[in-house]
Amino acid sequence: MSVVNYGTREITCKIVYYGPGRSGKTTNLQHIYSQLPEERKGKMVSLATETDRTLFFDFLPLDLGTISGFATRFQLYTVPGQVYYAATRKLVLQGVDGVVFVADSQSRQLAENIESLQDLHANLADEGFDPRTIPLAMQYNKRDLPASEISPIDELDETLNFRGVPYFAANAINGGGVFETLRSIASMVLSRLSAPAAKES
Amino acid sequence: MAANSKKSEEEDSGEFADFMADISQEIAQRVESLDAATKAPPEPKKATPLPRDAGLILEWENLPDRMIEEMR
Repeated sequence: MSVVNYGTREITCKIVYYGPGRSGKTTNLQHIYSQLPEERKGKMVSLATETDRTLFFDFLPLDLGTISGFATRFQLYTVPGQVYYAATRKLVLQGVDGVVFVADSQSRQLAENIESLQDLHANLADEGFDPRTIPLAMQYNKRDLPASEISPIDELDETLNFRGVPYFAANAINGGGVFETLRSIASMVLSRLSAPAAKES
Repeated sequence: MAANSKKSEEEDSGEFADFMADISQEIAQRVESLDAATKAPPEPKKATPLPRDAGLILEWENLPDRMIEEMR
């Protein structure tokens, strides 16, 4: 996917929120959407089942307007976390510029976090991306739950963040850490604009 | 309660404004560096230095014989 198009003066970045089922990926997008000023609110597409689970994916176009002469758009996606939607996750990852891995901080969800992270790496590799270099931010969500139910941040980070990428504690349901995470991944993606390979559309 | 709620909304809308400010700055820097890279004049091509006697025939001895030999 082209990140910057000099011809049309457009910058488009695709960011995918990845993670196990019920970790809070959709909640992240919902919070971002709720904070958008009316004039910038596009349409958030969310395909959910009757039980309110993401069936296919969520899509939130963020039109940031013209910045430094470039029409700038961020496209935020989530993947369905459930194991059986593997094909959809792969599809959503096509052309991705950056990934936010939303981990569930609950101690009993650790295995699901690890499985989802392995799934992310496998799917990135299948789509031709290098899982070791693609912009990635880790978000440890649900920090608002009782301490007895969640793993300490250090423990989660040691287990999941082997690349040592930026990580954020979050309670997305109240908006905590959501924009910090988005700012971090956006910055990482934008920093690659100066890379020679990213100049061409 | 209503006042708190309103204040919360104002703070929340500030989240996006802060985000926009940071991102705008980031993009401005990137665009500047890209522009600079695009406008930078190409480096002049350096000519490969040739030896001073390049192209000169220095060995005249038996030259006609060698030419005849090559023409055969």
